[in-house]
Amino acid sequence: MGRIVLENVTKNFGDTQVIPPLNLTIEDGEFAVFVGPSGCGKSTLLRLIAGLEDTTSGKILIDGEDVTQVSPSKRGLAMVFQTYALYPHMTVRKNIAFPMRMAGVDEAEQEKRIEAAARALNLTDYLDRKPGQLSGGQRQRVAIGRAIVRDPTAFLFDEPLSNLDAALRVGMRIEISEMHSRLETTMIYVTHDQVEAMTMADKIVVLRAGNIEQVGSPLDLYRNPQNLFVAGFIGSPKMNFIEGAEAGKHNAHTVGIRPEHIDVVADKGAWTGKVGVAEHLGSDTFFHVHETGLAETLTVRAPGEVTLGHGDTIHLNPRAGVIHRFDDRGQRLS
Amino acid sequence: MSNRTVSRVLQAPAVILLLIWMIVPLSMTLFFSFIRYVLSSLNRPEWTTPSISNWRGFGNYEFVLNSKDFVFAIQNSLLIVGSILFLTVTFGVLIAVLINKAFPGRGIVRVLLISPFFVMPAVNAVLWINMILDPVLGLQGLAVDGLNGLIAGMKDLPVIGWFFSQWPTLEPISFRATQTSAYAVIVMVTWQWTPFAVLIFMTSLQSEDQQQKEAAILDGAGAWSQFRFLTLPHLGRPIAIVVMIQAIFHLSLYAEIEIVSRGNGNKNLPYLIGEFANNNIGAASATGIFAVILANIIAIFLLRMVGKTLMD
Repeated sequence: MGRIVLENVTKNFGDTQVIPPLNLTIEDGEFAVFVGPSGCGKSTLLRLIAGLEDTTSGKILIDGEDVTQVSPSKRGLAMVFQTYALYPHMTVRKNIAFPMRMAGVDEAEQEKRIEAAARALNLTDYLDRKPGQLSGGQRQRVAIGRAIVRDPTAFLFDEPLSNLDAALRVGMRIEISEMHSRLETTMIYVTHDQVEAMTMADKIVVLRAGNIEQVGSPLDLYRNPQNLFVAGFIGSPKMNFIEGAEAGKHNAHTVGIRPEHIDVVADKGAWTGKVGVAEHLGSDTFFHVHETGLAETLTVRAPGEVTLGHGDTIHLNPRAGVIHRFDDRGQRLS
Repeated sequence: MSNRTVSRVLQAPAVILLLIWMIVPLSMTLFFSFIRYVLSSLNRPEWTTPSISNWRGFGNYEFVLNSKDFVFAIQNSLLIVGSILFLTVTFGVLIAVLINKAFPGRGIVRVLLISPFFVMPAVNAVLWINMILDPVLGLQGLAVDGLNGLIAGMKDLPVIGWFFSQWPTLEPISFRATQTSAYAVIVMVTWQWTPFAVLIFMTSLQSEDQQQKEAAILDGAGAWSQFRFLTLPHLGRPIAIVVMIQAIFHLSLYAEIEIVSRGNGNKNLPYLIGEFANNNIGAASATGIFAVILANIIAIFLLRMVGKTLMD
């Protein structure tokens, strides 16, 4: 079990309110991702749930029990930190054993759980090494192992992959996702990387300045962003925003269209422009198009290899039905 | 010339200078320790000039080994150094942990804590033995007097008076006495050198990883476990360094011993050398060689210890 409910939770640092009253429910077994730009309060929110920060007001409930005043160790949560926070003078085995040692689990049981965790995380050969002798990915796996052996009600991940290189990040992302489907334990994952959020989450919570901008499944956020912020944050490359006359045609202040919803055509497109930068990835080609009269730059995704380069004229056709309309306050128009 | 030769040639002046720096005094000490050499002698004026013709072999060493203070001086050296190390490291760690938390006036507290380290050893000894530890005029005497007065006053109280009337009158301790002068030295040097330990541990504590502590909190570690399993291992290296530096310094304590009791009941090897050197340079040199051997034995232990913590 691991249903986490936040009721009107606020957090002040001195006079500044970093989290205005906030309500959120994370269901048992759910993989929830807090995503937002740096400084949006997502890590603070996670630390409030962990108990590493005190709430200024409001209640935190885990499985219906009010834990707002309960000490971090009694909440039954395990946390994985961005810097791994391994104990440097202990071997991997001792690191993983530490929470069990603190809880007074007997030696035989400890050994059993360490072996199981090490096997699941491919750490069996490294159990007697110290963290300093491990690579970044291995260290992160040790940190996860230390969390798993506690059999927590929920896992908290605080930007766990930020310190890893790109290739390793993709691998670890899959490992964590697989771990979630195997353990079926509630997980809360904080990241600023919307790709991580989209690929891993059951539920994404988009935060800005401590406010929840939108909560929903990845595809829900992709299809129906509630405002300009979510529309711009979710999806890669970023959604194009067009204001003025073109938006007026759709009875909106701003319209948004994703790069993948604009087709490149040979001629007679609805829009024309000059190619600025062309990014040829093989599978896709991204064009940064200028001089369209719509916006300073339009980003366009063309599938496959398209042989247009810098300075070439490009003809574009937006697809109908996937244009997002927003009013002058940036809210979605239905 | 190959790279290695160049670097050796370039290093040579420094290395040669250091070698001379070390070898000249050491070989002179060795030479003096094997001859009869005194500063003044009416009967044997030829012994007052160092000369190979006054060769005594291991005679000086025998003389030193058989002198009544030698074994005592070695034991006392170890007692003083060991006690000071234990006390400064213990107090150093406790104080450093205590002032590591932010509180108002922390900057002033830190400066005040460091200040004993800037007092000269002789001044430190005079202050302690006369103003604090003196059984009559020092704080100790006043405190004992005050306590005795307090207890005497309590004896007249109804109901509980009989309890205090059972108490003996407290006697102040004379720290210049044969049995206690070593403790006076230990106390005053500990007071002076604890700030050094605090300073080193404090800087080390600042670099302690806060996320590790938070991880430990979530892992269920209480304050003691965090100290035992995170802070103490983190301080391993600075502790080794403090122990090594202090051991080197305190093996050669002199001023405090001289001022507290003029070596009465409290000698270490340097003090014994000083006593011999009043006249008998040969015996003083032989003691010096023993001191070098002792220092080397201790240094080997310490280097092993430090090396081990540095390896981790």
